[in-house]
Amino acid sequence: MAMELEYDRSLYGIEHKAGPFEISNETIDRANSSTGEAGAAFLSDEGAIAAGYKGRIAPPTLCCILVRQVALPDVKVKFGKTSMHAGQRVEPKAPVYAGDQLTASSHLKDVYAKTGRSGTMVFVVWETTFSNQNGEVVAEVQESFARRE
Amino acid sequence: MYLDMHSHSVSSDDSRATVEQYVKWIQVLRKRGHTVDGIVLTEHRKFDFDKDYSELASQYNVVVLKGSELDTRYGHFLVYGVTQALTQDIDFGDVRMDSRALMQAARQHDAIALPAHPGRFGIGLTEYVAQGETFDDVSIVERFNGGSRPGENERAAELCESHSLLGIGGSDAHLTSHIATCMTNFKATIKKESDVVEALLTKEFQPVWLDDTLNGASA
Repeated sequence: MAMELEYDRSLYGIEHKAGPFEISNETIDRANSSTGEAGAAFLSDEGAIAAGYKGRIAPPTLCCILVRQVALPDVKVKFGKTSMHAGQRVEPKAPVYAGDQLTASSHLKDVYAKTGRSGTMVFVVWETTFSNQNGEVVAEVQESFARRE
Repeated sequence: MYLDMHSHSVSSDDSRATVEQYVKWIQVLRKRGHTVDGIVLTEHRKFDFDKDYSELASQYNVVVLKGSELDTRYGHFLVYGVTQALTQDIDFGDVRMDSRALMQAARQHDAIALPAHPGRFGIGLTEYVAQGETFDDVSIVERFNGGSRPGENERAAELCESHSLLGIGGSDAHLTSHIATCMTNFKATIKKESDVVEALLTKEFQPVWLDDTLNGASA
């Protein structure tokens, strides 16, 4: 018998907006300290300009932090008893500068089952696009959540 | 010729390696004296009809073929020679499909399906054989799997011995430097997906470790 996944399929095709997220020097400081980032372009305008940017930039993984502030609806997956965060991947598209205002747009990308040593798990994948105040896409973040038996 | 029969590119949800990285790494292996002729991309629960790696294959002189690794209720199965008709008959995303039905459908569509990492604890075919399940259509299994934990390839080898099964080898690479850690040495020359099926049906192949190919050791 085929495995029919039960979840809220009406969520497909809907964009969930969030923001704006103010990228201040303090925001970048906190992101730097969380990862030990010490690259000159991330620390000051001078360092960034010397590296070819127009001003201080945020580390490329900043949007991985911001995405956790995006409220997403419950997909209502009818499977398993335990939920867990299953990973993120980020694709930086353009520099994020101190002073930028970012907005996020998230949509449900996929819900699928897989099997492995630890049994069957169902993954829920959200894709979030971050854009700056000029409408330029700066990053795409894919985030997965798993439910297991 | 030596083919890595089991690998995953970024097209699979859990791999971080691109096909370009794989074929470049194979150049490194060749410089180290190993023989690696090609790879089969066996992406999880799908078949990439839309992907064409022929330019990369030609540029780096590596045979790059496509297959699938499907989840079934009796463990994972590698599928070679996938056709549109097979994907219409079988739901590749159904993790609870009966692998017996998969194997039969594959043969009906000139493809072949065989158990991946059968010695894998918890999910390998040996678990189900031990429970009394029978798989009359299984004649080949993945005997060498590069992602196996200690003891798992040994369990696969025991299954081969006890049931007189033939074995292939595949790295199960999800990372660039894991490609070709295990391969299959075919007597036939393989250039396309249907050649893999034909070569498997001839039964003239054996699993090898990468070091077995060092300086043409077992060529």
